[in-house]
Amino acid sequence: MDTGLYIVLGIIAVLLLWVMATYNGLVRVKNQVANAWRQIDVQLKRRHDLIPNLVEVVKDTMSYEQETLRQVIEARNRAAAAAGPAEAIPAETALTGAVGRLFALAENYPQLKANENASRLMEELATTENKIAFSRQFYNDSVMENNNRVESFPANLIAGSFGFGVAPYFEVPAGETATPKVDLR
Amino acid sequence: MSASGSQPGPWGARDSPPAGSAPVAMTARAKAAGPGLKATDFLAAQRANRRNTVWLIAILLTLGGSFGYLLGLLAEANFAPDFDAFAPSRFGVVGAVVFVGIGAAASLVTFAAGDRVIVGMTGAREVSAADEPVLHNVVEEMAIASGLPKPRLVVIDTPAMNAFATGMRPDRAALGVTRGLLDGLSRDELQGVVGHEMSHIANLDTRYLTAVAILVGLIGLVADATRRSLFYSGRRQRRGRAAAPLIAILLLFSILAPIAAMLVRFAVSRQREYLADATAVRFTRNPTGLIGALQKLEASVQPFAGANRATQHMFIVNPFRDFAGNVSALMATHPPIANRIERLQNLGAD
Repeated sequence: MDTGLYIVLGIIAVLLLWVMATYNGLVRVKNQVANAWRQIDVQLKRRHDLIPNLVEVVKDTMSYEQETLRQVIEARNRAAAAAGPAEAIPAETALTGAVGRLFALAENYPQLKANENASRLMEELATTENKIAFSRQFYNDSVMENNNRVESFPANLIAGSFGFGVAPYFEVPAGETATPKVDLR
Repeated sequence: MSASGSQPGPWGARDSPPAGSAPVAMTARAKAAGPGLKATDFLAAQRANRRNTVWLIAILLTLGGSFGYLLGLLAEANFAPDFDAFAPSRFGVVGAVVFVGIGAAASLVTFAAGDRVIVGMTGAREVSAADEPVLHNVVEEMAIASGLPKPRLVVIDTPAMNAFATGMRPDRAALGVTRGLLDGLSRDELQGVVGHEMSHIANLDTRYLTAVAILVGLIGLVADATRRSLFYSGRRQRRGRAAAPLIAILLLFSILAPIAAMLVRFAVSRQREYLADATAVRFTRNPTGLIGALQKLEASVQPFAGANRATQHMFIVNPFRDFAGNVSALMATHPPIANRIERLQNLGAD
């Protein structure tokens, strides 16, 4: 009788430990998803701040590219003013394309590389573009880990009873993966 | 998902991330990774490498455990009156448990003690964001891609091309590159190298290889002590006849075990390099950068004065590869660069 009791108590203790570990794991990935989401925001804001400075510095050198520069600024202002994802996703996508065109055209102006201010801002903007892509990638990786945990058995029993859900993926808009068209005039 | 609800998101404060179905998002990511690269390939590579490393560690523990068992068996043969060479030995089990326990304890102590020595040994100095803006930017990019804190950055002033990472814990890690690497690589290639080093940090390789080194050292130490004690006790005392074959086995074991352990250590090191390459592609989604960097590193013939035998396993390519003559493949800390490039190309680069 005594041994039976101990065995039952032991099984209950192991079960409790498992529930605790699973719950903590779910909390960790949930917070990781939330943090990854904020990281994207930080990088997009940084891009909005950098673009006016860069355009200011290069506009004299790239005087033949006023149209492209104007498009970049317009796309930036639209993206910064966008309210809600429905407006913001196409606006940020358009901005990525405009910045890509600006970079492609800047290749034709070797004197920009010699300009310390311009090359520093170009590097800052280039790394911010990369960070936007990587933070989105990390967000999607985190979502995959979160959803794998929430949906697989037997952790889904715990996730269900404590209200953990699946997170939505950040879809890369179809146009963004295409190479930006270079406008040669 | 409640996690992202009502928090400031990428487009300012609003309710939730854009809704997207999982399969669509996955294919979009795969496409972004480059032509022909399936987004899950590197995950499979990581799994395979982890499995191999677990096997190698298991072999080391078995080696150490059997050593402990044999020692216990010998003790029983000497001191227990009712010794039976073919029955399971209580002393032997105790020996095995003690040996594995000491190995685990020594590893834990080393993890806690930290790793400040290594960076000093390579002659590196720390650089600020103002000194090396591109390096700092590339490392920040990889820190975001991996979700790790940004490590301390150091530069070794040598024309040789190499890079290393160290740190028992990701939040106290350091990443170092040589001046020759900064000057010789394109931004994409530097990103590949930094991705490789961040992978070592993410995969806890410093900790891993330290644990392996401790186990190997322990096996060597005990093997040495065994040979010596066999020699002395053999002269001083007489033993039962049953112990004679046992002594022969133990002697053979004490000679072979350290050699086997060392080979396993090098094999683990090589597996971790492959794993770091695969993880780097997971972070950058761009195998071509790392491939280009490895090709340049292989072509570089600048000797590297800052490395020594104690730190050689930490670098992205072995600093002695061209200058130490033909090192046997079994005794190498790194896989041949050509093999690494081939595996990366299998991940989908052109």
